[in-house]
Amino acid sequence: MSPTLKSLLVSLLIIATFTACGPDTLYDLSGDTFQLRNSDSTQVNFPGDFKGDISLVTFIYTNCPDVCPVITANMTNIQRALDDTSGVNFIEISFDPKRDSPSTLKEYRDLYELNEQFTMLTSHPNDSDVLLDKLDIVAEKAIIDSLGHDSTNYAMRHSNTLYLMDRDGYIRTEYPAHRVTPEHVKDDINYLRSE
Amino acid sequence: MKSITHFLLILLSGCLLFFGCSSESNSSNESDSKKEVVLGKIALDNAWARPGSQQGKSAAYLRISNGTASTDTLLSFSSNAAESVELHKSIENDDGTTSMQPADEQVIPSGEKLHIEPGGLHLMLTNLKRDMAVGDSLQITLEFARAGTVTTTAPVQIQN
Ligand SMILES: [Cu+2]
Repeated sequence: MSPTLKSLLVSLLIIATFTACGPDTLYDLSGDTFQLRNSDSTQVNFPGDFKGDISLVTFIYTNCPDVCPVITANMTNIQRALDDTSGVNFIEISFDPKRDSPSTLKEYRDLYELNEQFTMLTSHPNDSDVLLDKLDIVAEKAIIDSLGHDSTNYAMRHSNTLYLMDRDGYIRTEYPAHRVTPEHVKDDINYLRSE
Repeated sequence: MKSITHFLLILLSGCLLFFGCSSESNSSNESDSKKEVVLGKIALDNAWARPGSQQGKSAAYLRISNGTASTDTLLSFSSNAAESVELHKSIENDDGTTSMQPADEQVIPSGEKLHIEPGGLHLMLTNLKRDMAVGDSLQITLEFARAGTVTTTAPVQIQN
């Protein structure tokens, strides 16, 4: 390989690394406060209460039979892949607050044996979706005829998103939550740690 | 002469109609009484289900291997742990969102496998009859067009 080609490749690689997890901010939450509740019904200020730590933030509904448990499994796989999990939060925010009360979230975290590094968050059922809108998270009821449908029995069409948020409340990277490999996220977390 | 031809034609078409119908019902009677001999068997393995709470939902997964000499079709699903079981498919929409929908009829060619696994097909269990926690297990019964019913036991697990 010629030296010119080699240096071109190296600089391309640097650019690629830089763009993948560079200083670009996808969403700036540094000045925002969203009041949510965790699985103990305690009020949580998002993202303020998580500042100073790196956070993985994903979005689920607990009535989700297939894909959301895959997302949760992937979160625990990322947790396992990290050699050091200190200073990292694993946050799952419900986009179905009408059914996902704090106690429902508590059941979910018990069922899936999520440890204390996980925070499950929901909003008040009547709150507007300001946070979801700001983060471009789509979630809407989807009716499947054979399952019947009423106000409590519905499935959802939803985003499949995992965000990496830095210590200052800037969302820096976005992944397909159910499919990203733990190694990929681990590298990006280590990058943020080194900043 | 003309009227006789006419009469014969009517008679003939009447016979045809009659035979058409009767041969159809005959063939279904035949397959009921004379059970088809199926060589080989349909094997189920890697079955497991997600935890869930009574009256709630869960999903079950397994692998189906068609070891018979012919193509078979999955007709229906049931479980001792849920009021109803449906085969669903998680799909990715063009806008990047995910949703699920009832899956099409599944046809499994001889010698092939059907993977019902997370993120693709799932057996959707609704109206669970009891809480299902890690360590419990449930029965899943599948009915095939040729091979009849096949049952397996699925432990409740957390996906890794
Ligand atoms: Cu389903």
